Amino acid sequence: MIATVLAWKDRLLGRGDAAITVPVFDGALKSNRLIEDATAVATMDAPEDVATDGQTVYVADGARVLRLQHDDLHEVHRCAGHITALACVPGGGFALAIEGKEVRIEGGAHHGRQWSAVGAERFNAVNAISVTQDGRLHVTDGSSTRPHGQWKHDLMSLGRSGRVFELTPADGAGRVLATHLHYAFGACEMDGSVWVSESWRHHVTRVNRARNGSPPTVTDALPGYPSRIVPAQGGGVWLTCFALRTQLVEFVLREHTYRKRMIAEVPPAYWIAPALNSGNTFLEPMQGAQLKMMGIVKPWAPPRSYGLVVRLDEDGLVRYSLHSRYDGKNHGVAAAAECDGKLYLIAMGNRRLLALDIAAAERELLG
Amino acid sequence: MTSTPALEMRKATKKYVGVPAIEDVDFALLPGEIHSIVGENGAGKSTLTKIMAGVVQLDSGQMLIDGQEVRPLTPNDAQKLGVAMVFQETTLVPTMTVAQNLFLGQEKFFNRLRGIYIAAQQFLQSLQFDVDPTAQVSLLGAAKKQMVEIARAVLHKAKIIIFDEPTASLTPEEKKYFFDLVYSLKARGVSVIFISHALEEALQVSDRITVLRDGRHVVTDEASQFDRARIVQAMVGRDLSQTLYGQRKKQIRPQGKRVLSVQNLRMAAMVKNNSLSVFAGQVTGVFGLVGSGRTETFKVVAGVIKRDFMHGGEVLLHGRPVRYFVPASGVRDGIAYVTEDRKVEGFFETKSIADNIYLGLLAKLRGKRPLFRRSESAEVGEHWIKRLNVRAIGKDVKAIELSGGNQQKVVIAKALVQEPDLIIFDEPTRGVDVGAISEIHAIINRLADEGKAVVVISSYLPEVMAISDRILVQRMGKVVEEYSPAEATEEKIMYAAIH
Repeated sequence: MIATVLAWKDRLLGRGDAAITVPVFDGALKSNRLIEDATAVATMDAPEDVATDGQTVYVADGARVLRLQHDDLHEVHRCAGHITALACVPGGGFALAIEGKEVRIEGGAHHGRQWSAVGAERFNAVNAISVTQDGRLHVTDGSSTRPHGQWKHDLMSLGRSGRVFELTPADGAGRVLATHLHYAFGACEMDGSVWVSESWRHHVTRVNRARNGSPPTVTDALPGYPSRIVPAQGGGVWLTCFALRTQLVEFVLREHTYRKRMIAEVPPAYWIAPALNSGNTFLEPMQGAQLKMMGIVKPWAPPRSYGLVVRLDEDGLVRYSLHSRYDGKNHGVAAAAECDGKLYLIAMGNRRLLALDIAAAERELLG
Repeated sequence: MTSTPALEMRKATKKYVGVPAIEDVDFALLPGEIHSIVGENGAGKSTLTKIMAGVVQLDSGQMLIDGQEVRPLTPNDAQKLGVAMVFQETTLVPTMTVAQNLFLGQEKFFNRLRGIYIAAQQFLQSLQFDVDPTAQVSLLGAAKKQMVEIARAVLHKAKIIIFDEPTASLTPEEKKYFFDLVYSLKARGVSVIFISHALEEALQVSDRITVLRDGRHVVTDEASQFDRARIVQAMVGRDLSQTLYGQRKKQIRPQGKRVLSVQNLRMAAMVKNNSLSVFAGQVTGVFGLVGSGRTETFKVVAGVIKRDFMHGGEVLLHGRPVRYFVPASGVRDGIAYVTEDRKVEGFFETKSIADNIYLGLLAKLRGKRPLFRRSESAEVGEHWIKRLNVRAIGKDVKAIELSGGNQQKVVIAKALVQEPDLIIFDEPTRGVDVGAISEIHAIINRLADEGKAVVVISSYLPEVMAISDRILVQRMGKVVEEYSPAEATEEKIMYAAIH
């Protein structure tokens, strides 16, 4: 009762949850053009994930696994369905998620091992796999109610059915590490626990925490929707954010009746929702805004897509960030892999594999 | 235009407590001319124009009107000489109506209110000002108050009108009316002095522009000979190594955890949708011109003033939303605000150094110290006097008896005794002697090295560049740019700060 009254008061005064504010890009999150200026290695049909074994870079493109060799991509494996997650397994081979409903090992010592459920929990929207040094797999399943391709539906229906699993290829065992997450999208083992991106809560959280007193949250109040996490050379991780939070979307997420009608009546491409790319048609929704430049007020509408990769240190602090800004095209960065001093990124917005020199980026950003 | 200036200043010098606000400034305003005076904060624009308007007097030099030397001692004297000044903060009587304010000082022995209202209505309409003459001034918005102020100057038949930041509170439509009014004043032969941080407006409206820097005249030229870049260069073109603050910062501290996150903050007309973060272990410098809303933003953070009651945005301290109604709540949460106005808000001038510092501690320990413990006060006072090197005969010396620099150290000690996580220094070296500046900077740097989140609000570019690990530039109520000290130049910062 009291909570209802307080919520009503907040809505009336625009406070608390109804304040509808978004964290600002400043400090180490200050924007730059490094993703936009990254080298475009290749343009593909439906790139989804990128992985490396430390020497070679592999890309999941539709149903194919491609190997990057001399700046060219060669098919090394083909599956029956769309690959939604890819990881390289120590000793050779891949761990693949197919259509989000099945995890399979292809090649290597555990070739043919597959999982479609852990106990009673059936896989539904597997979107990321990470491999530990001893060969265990950490698998994130974004939603148990919506398929992988319907992530927008999950956000707009305030989904919180994400899960994290641990799979052991050696014996085929599996266990559930966490459930009821707000779209789990990416995991990585760090400091004895598993860091998991919870996209709709804009933070990275620790699950399976080691008993060393580390707090449950690694980093929070991110200005974007975090996705896959991969280890970085020299400690810490790379965290990709596939879209940016905007006040308009935050507002729509609090307007339940409007949202339900939007889901029922409007095609998903035209929803007021984050997107992997934008500006394709005038039918897309726009947020009215303005900029004052040289004393003149100019109309301006922030688009719904953005490109962002964040470098976190071992404590979860942001060291620096890489951006493709509103005026760029390399948006919707959802996967990263570091190999041979370069960071390879999948920009799903324009279906590109990008590469950028990490040392040069650090020189530019850190001096 | 004739060759005899309507108003001329020759070698104008004015000092405050021995420090020159303007020095040997030559200035000439031609009849029927619109003349803009631009310069950064503290350049001497206000002092120069206040002398013209009789608010303050020259220490040396001459002021001439129509070639005759004059020395107005009061604003009334200046008004009789035909000089009127329209201040940024209006000087209207809030409890009177618009019409009463217009005719204030010109009343007849018997006044018919209806007659005043009709005359005021006709006059305001002739200026195309949409203001109700019967409205009480306290109920008007900033723009309308400004209009009444302008109308009053025109009504008093001033030959020279000085506008101090006249467009800061006007909407685009109101600005257009204002500029039309300025042009019509010019057509009537009135000379106009226009002080503005809005360079585009200065370039658009002026016949000539004068640039002041550090109290000295830099250049006067036709407006057509200027562009934005030339003005900015003239405003800031100083050698950094020659300033009190030395070279720009070379070692930049890495950022720690986000201590403060301000999101879409609003506070009346001063802070507009402002967002920024402050990180532990860094000095965050905040630069902006007067009226950019820097002080107001951080006063809201510290609970000194309140944000908008409805849709005021969010302030998150260590990720937790906070909204303070009194500063004491902020103090208990680890926020210390070192005020820019130490004499009014910083200390009790008749109390001793030790008592002042101890009062800072009591603010933090509300309820845990029901009684003032004199021994503890002495102990705390001695500790901080030694730690901050406050130069005084003893801890029992009254704060008012100290120099400006040592007073500032007492205010800082009063804040630091609260062991804050976030310390906001607002103009920490204003009115402080040269020796104390470096000591205060050392204190600020030490705090950042200890892992505290430190904010330094400063109007002085060399100070911001010398001390900050990151520089935020605020303009028109919000942060518009962030620079690292490595990339920042005075020109870049000033370019972002003016509108």
